[in-house]
Amino acid sequence: MIEASWIAGLGVILFGVGLIGAFTRKNAIVVLMCIEVMLNAANLNFVAGAAHYGDVNGWVFTAIAIAIAAAEVAIGLAILLSLYSTQETISLDEANILRN
Amino acid sequence: MSESKNEWHLLLPILPFLAVAPYLRSIGWESVDAAYLIVVIPLLTFPLILILGQMFNGNVTWKHRYKEGGIFALGALALSLSIAVWILYDYLVGSAHFESASVVDPFSWLTFDVLQQNGSQWELSTGFADIGVGVWIDSISLMLLFVATFLCFLICWFSLGYMNKDSINEDRNHRFYGEFVLFGIGMFGMVLADNFLWLFIFWEIMGLCSYLLIGFYFWKESAAYAAKKAFLTTRVGDVFLVVGLVILYDIYGSLEFAVIFDDPSTGVGGSLVDSGELFWALMMLFIGAVGKSAQFPLHVWLPDAMEGPTPVSALIHAATMVNAGLYLVARMVPFVDIGHGGVAGLEDLGLIIAWIGGITAFMAAAIAFVQNDIKKVLAYSTMSQLAYIFTGLGAALFLLNIGEESAGYFVLGASMFHLFNHAMAKGMLFMASGSVVHELHHAHDHVRELSLKYSAHEGEDPFAFDPLDMRNMGGLAARMPVTATAMMFGSMSIIGIPLIGGFWSKEGIIAETWAACLKEEPMMFVPALLILATAGMTGFYMTRMWLMTFAGSPKSEVVGHVHEATPWIKEPLIILTLFAAIGGFALAVLGVVNFLGGEHDHLGLAHGSALDEAIYQLEHAFLPEDANMRLIGWTTILLALVIGPVMASRIYGGRLIEGVEATPLVAWLVNLSSRLGSQDVDELANSQLAEALQRRLYFDDLYEMVLAKTVVPFAAFAAWFDQNVIDGVIKQVESNSVFGSVQIRRLTTGSARDYILMAAVGMLSVFALVWGVSA
Repeated sequence: MIEASWIAGLGVILFGVGLIGAFTRKNAIVVLMCIEVMLNAANLNFVAGAAHYGDVNGWVFTAIAIAIAAAEVAIGLAILLSLYSTQETISLDEANILRN
Repeated sequence: MSESKNEWHLLLPILPFLAVAPYLRSIGWESVDAAYLIVVIPLLTFPLILILGQMFNGNVTWKHRYKEGGIFALGALALSLSIAVWILYDYLVGSAHFESASVVDPFSWLTFDVLQQNGSQWELSTGFADIGVGVWIDSISLMLLFVATFLCFLICWFSLGYMNKDSINEDRNHRFYGEFVLFGIGMFGMVLADNFLWLFIFWEIMGLCSYLLIGFYFWKESAAYAAKKAFLTTRVGDVFLVVGLVILYDIYGSLEFAVIFDDPSTGVGGSLVDSGELFWALMMLFIGAVGKSAQFPLHVWLPDAMEGPTPVSALIHAATMVNAGLYLVARMVPFVDIGHGGVAGLEDLGLIIAWIGGITAFMAAAIAFVQNDIKKVLAYSTMSQLAYIFTGLGAALFLLNIGEESAGYFVLGASMFHLFNHAMAKGMLFMASGSVVHELHHAHDHVRELSLKYSAHEGEDPFAFDPLDMRNMGGLAARMPVTATAMMFGSMSIIGIPLIGGFWSKEGIIAETWAACLKEEPMMFVPALLILATAGMTGFYMTRMWLMTFAGSPKSEVVGHVHEATPWIKEPLIILTLFAAIGGFALAVLGVVNFLGGEHDHLGLAHGSALDEAIYQLEHAFLPEDANMRLIGWTTILLALVIGPVMASRIYGGRLIEGVEATPLVAWLVNLSSRLGSQDVDELANSQLAEALQRRLYFDDLYEMVLAKTVVPFAAFAAWFDQNVIDGVIKQVESNSVFGSVQIRRLTTGSARDYILMAAVGMLSVFALVWGVSA
């Protein structure tokens, strides 16, 4: 039996990977993927907690979070599409017209 | 001239108004119950005139048939007059309603709670103060009500000619009539009010109308200045009046006449009234009266108030509003009347009032000596005559407070009678002066057209002409017979020429003030002496005014073109001339002094037939038993009839030019004035005293200087404080936040990664904080 803390630890590592990726990458799609990784890290924590305490709420939350993540990806990709159609780029360094 | 066509049919719309009073009587109304209508009808008419005036401005029917609202105003005032006469009639015949009480049952208007001290605690009493709406009717308020309604009606009538025939007023007259009617509301309401609070409210309505109407020609700088001056000066008095009302409320726990006058020596909760506190309350009320009635030292506004249209001067600033102060002082009688439950120890109040009156009477008469503006002479004359009444009232309060009941009531009645005579004569004099000025103005327009046609005057301005300046008049007796006659009788009434109008009341005031001085109180000597001297001075300046205007040769070519042609102007003059000329004697015979003094509640013959009573009055006036009184009486007559007028005739009198005749009624006076010789007074006229009088004894300059030294620097400081401290703080806050926002703006780099970093760092900080706090 894998300890719940190990799973939680994996969640923290995954969250860190997602966070650092979101800071550093220029490509907006990669940043979106990193955000998904962070969400899934959180889901992992829910699942670990649910298994540890034997409580079904964690699984329910995970299911809802996955649904929300799907919706978020749809919106995010739509934004990126319209960004590309107006700015001809999806590089975050160049999409800075709201500066100052 | 098309202007002089008969316009009597225009009066048809006011006939239904006159029918209201008889109709109400026929359906069983009591006259006192109808008293509310005296105020309510003008209250409804006032907005009506303004609204219709705005709607139909410029409309031909509105302008010519309804005189831009003048006919409505006249109708409402006619209704007020008819109800006032009805009440007066009922009162005089002793209608049953008045025997029990002279107050209509008041209904509650305003109820408020008062914070009271109960032991060591403060608590709110419910429904403690109750201000009712009622009508208070006694002989004084009836007299003043008649004067106010009668003169409002006649002067409104006069305005139909005076205002509507002047192109400068075109399309603005509905404002004049609206404000005129609003003034009527104020005056009628103040006279009828049955408590001091209502009296004060209507008092302020009058002040507002005075301001609005003085500033009727507001585009003239002098008129705007005069309006402000009048408003602010009377406001000084009104502040004291409010303080006086608060003290009165503190003493009696009510402002109702019925409550206070029922037992003036008992205050709230049965306590004994402290005469010191009451003295200050009445003193404050008196200062309010001083402001309203233009007495020293708050007199400076009245001469400037003549900037308003002449009907306004006649009504507000001569005949009615300025009497409000006198009415207020006359209302103080129950407080001091120790024979009927008054408070002892208030002699000083009467003395102060008499002194103020004496000083004002003398000072105003002296200033009137040198004024060349016909309306300014009348304005100072008004101040001087009102001061007579104040002196009389002061003597009355003094005498009543030391228990001299019959003398006190007599001089009270004489003062109120003088108020009546003065209002009638002065209202008429102002209308007559308005007639003179109006016709001169039209004649000047005529001359101007002629000279424009022939261009007679090259190089000088032929149009500079002041129709108010008596130095441009002279010889008008031949041109304006009605006006000259009216003004002669009005002046005689003001001077106190024996047997005419004001003589009957002025004699009483002077004689009783002297009696009080000789018998009781040497401090009365100064006011007594001053008003005696003023009697002669009145003779001088009124005669001077009449002679400068009507006698001698014309001083400008304009006079030759004057015609007494404007309609609506002569009828009120003739009516008031009758009142001024014979009203005084008639009323004296009917015992009006005892009526107004409150000793009788009806007019009537006390000594048998009218002839007996007339002989008694004449004997009483010319040959009183007391030798002192006989001396005083004859000195007054000598001064007023002989010395003053003769001096004025020697300086200003003169024959009309050859070939013109005055009407016999005034021709004798013109001829007499030319026979008394002439005297050159250039030296005196150029003296320092004349200069000081010209400058109104420097009171205006003094006040302006004091204001320039106190209020103006304070206002400048307040402006500086506002700009630098209050605005400064706000501006500092604003510039700091601009600076801060510029700094914060640097954080918005536009790069999404920076925002994510900020969000992450912020989130982590929150976590760290929560962890740190919970650990």
